[in-house]
Amino acid sequence: MPIECRNINYKYPGAQFPVFNNLNCRVGEPGFHALFGQSGVGKSTFARMIAGQLNGFAGEIKIREPKKVFYSYNLERLPGWSDVGEHIGKVTPEANRKRIDEIIESFGVSACMGSGFSRLSLGQQNRVNLARYLLQDFDLLIMDESLANVDEATREQIIYKIKDMFPQKSFLYISHSVAEVSMFCMNIIVLRSFLKDPQTLTINGQDSARGRAVAGKDLEQTMLEIVNAS
Amino acid sequence: MLHKRLYQFVLVYFIGLAFLFTVKGVFNLSDYVIPSPLDIYSTFRRVFMRYFFDVLNTLSVAIVGHIISIAMATVVGIIGRLSNWMGSLIRTAAFNVQAYPIVAVAPMIFILLGDGLSSRLLIAAMICYFPLLLSFIGILSEPITDIEHFYVHSGRMRWQLEVKIRAFENMNKLITVVAGSATLAMVGTIVSEFIGASAGIGYSIRIALYQSDLSKILVALFFIGIFTSLYLAVLELLGHIVSRSWGAKKA
Repeated sequence: MPIECRNINYKYPGAQFPVFNNLNCRVGEPGFHALFGQSGVGKSTFARMIAGQLNGFAGEIKIREPKKVFYSYNLERLPGWSDVGEHIGKVTPEANRKRIDEIIESFGVSACMGSGFSRLSLGQQNRVNLARYLLQDFDLLIMDESLANVDEATREQIIYKIKDMFPQKSFLYISHSVAEVSMFCMNIIVLRSFLKDPQTLTINGQDSARGRAVAGKDLEQTMLEIVNAS
Repeated sequence: MLHKRLYQFVLVYFIGLAFLFTVKGVFNLSDYVIPSPLDIYSTFRRVFMRYFFDVLNTLSVAIVGHIISIAMATVVGIIGRLSNWMGSLIRTAAFNVQAYPIVAVAPMIFILLGDGLSSRLLIAAMICYFPLLLSFIGILSEPITDIEHFYVHSGRMRWQLEVKIRAFENMNKLITVVAGSATLAMVGTIVSEFIGASAGIGYSIRIALYQSDLSKILVALFFIGIFTSLYLAVLELLGHIVSRSWGAKKA
């Protein structure tokens, strides 16, 4: 489901400077893509625009059908009156129930199912939150630092699992780790300051998958391109 | 909880008495103005049973009035949390109407409904209703974005769920507000009895006032304090049980 953003202009009410000034970008085929940029450059704002959760901007965001877009972020919480397993069971559509065990197990949160969300570590909370989004019927899932506080090895395992399980879905992964986005993502949209023109640059990532090694040199090259672009 | 409440009240009550006796001693006031401790004790023994049942009567009206006001504030708070014109209208009305003292309207209620139970109940409910309503609207109209986000964007959000999330997340605040308004319910009932009813401890205080009998008033205050503390302690205990039974599922 390609996403095309044209001439996006946006300024928060009361702010002195705009966040986006004539921003254009395109995310093409399904796969694991990234939105990368320095803190405060507008990644979450842009993600919320794509998800339809922020309006009042000038320009156009075109998402081709089907377009069930979900936006998950790392500060989300589950309600406290039920345990994690009970909650996930309740919010998972009937057709996706058979995937619960597979996702929960591969995310390493099986032991958390009987616990209250507030008792989990930050990393476990983020994994549980991401798991419930993956169990929804989505076409595009925006993962805004959804794997923050998760160790590198587990993060890698989770991303590979997502790629294995959802090859036809689109993901927009927001992360501050150059190495991570270079390694795992197909396209990296580098979001820059509104003073720069163009405000976004798209870099091809290594799109690493399970069983497909990435040459160190290529990875370094991608990382260098991202750093230069940002 | 209960013993703490009772200690606090008894301490404050006897400090108040000590102050009165000090004033009596310093200005050499007669027993007619401020009775002696012995007078107060003998009045206490004389009116104990009557005042006990009077304050019990007042407390029962206050409890029913309190329950009615909680129910009303919940319903109106749920509607008032809406961001549409109806919610806005209810919020504005709540803020404006509560500025008008219910005590000033009380005589009108007695004229219309008489000096029976319904007037006392209505005034008690109205006096604690508005503070409750303002708190309920404040709590229920504040989104818990971190939790609600998922439900809203997955199309699962229903008003019942929204209210449940907000109430659960603000459970301690709600319990404090409900327990705090219990005092207002008691005050409202006593004020209504004092103004025009023909039963309850407020009515007995009015009679004592006509007789200029400070001993009776002091004894009535003692009973009011004991029973209000008792009611507050029971409410706090209930709140504790509710938050523990809900919170237990978090574990």
